[in-house]
Amino acid sequence: MKAILCSVFAVTALLPAQPAKTPDFTGVWAPFSGGRGGDPKLAPPPAGQLVLKPEYAKPYEARRAAEAEAAKRGEQLATAGAQCIPYGVPTMMAVAVYPVEFIQTAKQMTIISEAFSEVRRVYLDRPQAPIDDVAPGYYGRSVGHWDGETLVVDTIGIKPTVNGYRGMPHSEKMHITERIKLVTPDVLHDQITIEDPVVLEKPMVYTLAYRRMPDYEMVEFVCDNNREYVDEKGVVRMKIKDK
Amino acid sequence: MKSRLLNVLAAAIALAIPVLAHHSFTMFDTTKQITITGTVTSFEWTNPHSYIEIDVPDEAGAVKHWSIEMGSPSILQQSGWKFSSLKKGDKTTLVINPLKTGLAGGFLNTATLPTGKVLGNGPGRGPAK
Repeated sequence: MKAILCSVFAVTALLPAQPAKTPDFTGVWAPFSGGRGGDPKLAPPPAGQLVLKPEYAKPYEARRAAEAEAAKRGEQLATAGAQCIPYGVPTMMAVAVYPVEFIQTAKQMTIISEAFSEVRRVYLDRPQAPIDDVAPGYYGRSVGHWDGETLVVDTIGIKPTVNGYRGMPHSEKMHITERIKLVTPDVLHDQITIEDPVVLEKPMVYTLAYRRMPDYEMVEFVCDNNREYVDEKGVVRMKIKDK
Repeated sequence: MKSRLLNVLAAAIALAIPVLAHHSFTMFDTTKQITITGTVTSFEWTNPHSYIEIDVPDEAGAVKHWSIEMGSPSILQQSGWKFSSLKKGDKTTLVINPLKTGLAGGFLNTATLPTGKVLGNGPGRGPAK
């Protein structure tokens, strides 16, 4: 008997650990930050510090200063968003109060942002491509796998004209790692780590938080009536009609 | 007083929240509110913003046309707006923040519909309940 028990134990010990049951993120989620109706314990931790290499820090700071100066004059300098250019990854993951929808299957996590109807597809359990094989774009190529109950998403191939966190510059070598998990059944966190050997002195880490929106139906968002335009000085203006 | 406070709050929230969505509200004079009453020439339930186009007669009867920017349909529906809330020919009174340039455009604070119902400009969705 003892021998049988010992051998059962030995066989059990040899079996690979059973993977944790993967959670289901399917549903619509509204971004929130601390202080807006949320339990502070569920709010995202403060963002890390953005540290750019000096040659990138200088123009970045100059741009921020120019934006602040323009704001004092009552003007906004041109942005991609004001021209209805999509935000891309990772900014599309939190655009103001617009929700994001997760659609989860065994092989793919599809994420749709209501603002600008942006779509990203995360291929699960597939290898990432070499960076030189991914055409730079707004969404790049994302692959993911489950690490216990956390979805780990790896993204490459975001083109440098797609603005990153708070307008930060980046190169074609940018690599984004997201760790997405439920912190309660109805609160989701997405910890985003941006690495860029060309532009960043150290990885930029920040976390987005979302609350579940049960039964919410996503609203169509096609940017076909953009009255904002950029004038010859690079300032955002609103077109008005004569009648 | 209470409704005025709510309006101010709604305006503050509306101004604070959609900033990242499309553009900042720097172009509007948010320290100034003006009231215009006129006839709707079109109600555009569109993205990235909805618009009320309105003809506003002055005391002498001369008509000036205004373009009034609102939130997006997604934001507006959270405060009771529908694509059919206004129609061409409707009479409405709008409280707006005017453009700083002085041109006949502005950002909606509140609209009084023909039914008498007063709607804001989308208080922002906020966290889901």
